[in-house]
Amino acid sequence: MSGSTRVTSAGPPPPVPDPPAPAGRAWGELGLVALLAVIGVVLLVDTGRIAVPGSSNTVGPRAFPYAVGAALVLVAVALAVAVWRGDRAAADEGEDVDASTDTDWRAVGLIAAAFVAHALLINVVGWPLAVSLMFASVSKLLGARGWVRPLLAGGVVSVVVWLLFVKLLNVALPGGTLLELVTGA
Amino acid sequence: MHSFSQLMDGFGAALTPLNLLFAFLGVFLGTAVGVLPGIGPAMTVALLLPITYVLEPTGAFIMFAGIYYGGMYGGSTTSILLNTPGESSSIMTALEGNKMAKSGRGAAALATAALGSFVAGTLATLLLAFLAAPIVDWAVSLTAADYFALAVLAFCAVSSVLGSSPLRGLASLGFGLYFGLVGTDVLTGQPRFTFGVPQLTDGVDVVVVAVALFAVGEALYVGSRLRRGPVQVMPTGGQWFTRQDLRRSVGPWLRGTAIGFPFGTLPAGGAEIPTFLSYSLEKRLSKHGHEFGKGAIEGVAGPEAANNAAAAGVLVPLLTLGLPTSATAAILLAAFQGYGIQPGPLLLTTESALVWTLIASLLIGNFMLLVLNLPLVGLWVKLLKIPRPYLYAGILMFASLGSYAVNADPFDLLLLTLLGLLGLLMRRYGWPVAPAVIGLILGPVAETNLRRAVAISDGDLGVLLDTTLSKVVLTVALASVVVPPLLRRRERRRLRATNAEVD
Repeated sequence: MSGSTRVTSAGPPPPVPDPPAPAGRAWGELGLVALLAVIGVVLLVDTGRIAVPGSSNTVGPRAFPYAVGAALVLVAVALAVAVWRGDRAAADEGEDVDASTDTDWRAVGLIAAAFVAHALLINVVGWPLAVSLMFASVSKLLGARGWVRPLLAGGVVSVVVWLLFVKLLNVALPGGTLLELVTGA
Repeated sequence: MHSFSQLMDGFGAALTPLNLLFAFLGVFLGTAVGVLPGIGPAMTVALLLPITYVLEPTGAFIMFAGIYYGGMYGGSTTSILLNTPGESSSIMTALEGNKMAKSGRGAAALATAALGSFVAGTLATLLLAFLAAPIVDWAVSLTAADYFALAVLAFCAVSSVLGSSPLRGLASLGFGLYFGLVGTDVLTGQPRFTFGVPQLTDGVDVVVVAVALFAVGEALYVGSRLRRGPVQVMPTGGQWFTRQDLRRSVGPWLRGTAIGFPFGTLPAGGAEIPTFLSYSLEKRLSKHGHEFGKGAIEGVAGPEAANNAAAAGVLVPLLTLGLPTSATAAILLAAFQGYGIQPGPLLLTTESALVWTLIASLLIGNFMLLVLNLPLVGLWVKLLKIPRPYLYAGILMFASLGSYAVNADPFDLLLLTLLGLLGLLMRRYGWPVAPAVIGLILGPVAETNLRRAVAISDGDLGVLLDTTLSKVVLTVALASVVVPPLLRRRERRRLRATNAEVD
């Protein structure tokens, strides 16, 4: 099964001719390909530093990483050539994705920043508060109106989830000073 | 009939009030999360994993069973009621289901999907129950070289089948193989590629990778090109499932099951191909061929059954060989390992009671889905209408919960953000995400078996082609990478030729 992959493009039927590629898209994908190549090179270089124990007539801890590293570089080169020549795959579709708009990198950066901030805040102010602030900022960035509802929704859901997981299921999740004081943790 | 009595024991264990409650919770949560737009079955399982951390294995597996089938079911509801399919295995269901809903036959579409899922799920799970023991008997004779070959086949098949471009599939697989290498080398006990980061010596957690690539990647991707404006949900009303609908559905259900189950058991990328096959078969066989494309019930019944039968089929290699062939199965495998349970030929002997309880729970969960879901359609419709800003912010909240709960370390959340950005880029440029998850899980399996095989042969790489099975499997693996691009090229050339004639 696994329908887990999101739709990238139709499979067997109906046969889709190559979609006309929007101009200026190649550099981004080439960047992703470059990342793959860099990882491949890092693997090839770093594998030399793995110590190999005495008996050397068997495949040791180096062989597989070398093979993967080489494969990554090969795939990256082949893909780079293909992309350079104009090969494009259709971007993912989805229920809430507007394929006609261009990527809003600012929104992506801000959402990622909000997520990193909450990661760093968890051990300081507790999970419920950190995640409520993240929830409110992200929903604002995605177009929620006002501040009251996002904050209220995030706050209520996170406290309920925290109570459920910590008090009922005993999952370790810092609650923050206030919440831990109130619930006697 | 040994399997039969063990299955009955499994029912005995699963049918306690507490375990039924776990099954119900699993089915309910699985469906509820699976219904949410943007969330496929793999993401459903990954996001709901932390709930089971605290349960003892039996309860946890009963809940998994419900979440697994519930997530699948939820996905099909979404694809009928929204006008775009969520995951590739629902494209076909969406095609006809959507048209049916639009023309006021939403209730019948949902009913044939639910009944078809039940029929296919039940038959396929029974097949799983009776095939498990014979396959294990065969699997114990497999050598390390055979396992290596099977893992390589899974790599090739997953990369070339999923998505539109085999090279991009291989690239995604490469990311996964790299993540799989990070951590401590099992055989020599030394850290590899950890860059001195202590948190990485245990390797990159599968849950973190899956949640990052699926959930965080999706939230960021939606954020990057959000569809504004109100959400349109199809009407669920209309004439109920009639006697004629039933007559038209039974054949597709059974044929869909027959197509879906074998495809699920093969390392061939899961449910995408069998749903396509079922759809085109039904289109050819139907007496109502003209209705296809306008809302033919056979076009919902067949693919939906194929989809669910494949989901059960995937469990065959997972439970008997320890080989996950879909992203969802890879996450299930990680969950097993979290309990110190290693799926494989020995599982049926060492954890016999657990396996049979799991299989019984799949059947129970399947039945609960049937009873539960049709009355709850109203609730699912409400879930579909959740304002998108809150929905995706909420997905991030649960992603944080799931990843933080693994190790209680903010480091995992930073890793989650980085990998989420990777997931965004992969979606943006049409790289399939599932091969990365498979690579992460199967990479170490391939390496361990490779080294084991070569250690036994004393360094002779020829051992990898020693058995008939390994020869056949590696040949098929090679073919699965080489043949589809050739076919595609030919198809394209043919298309261009016909286009030229038209011009």
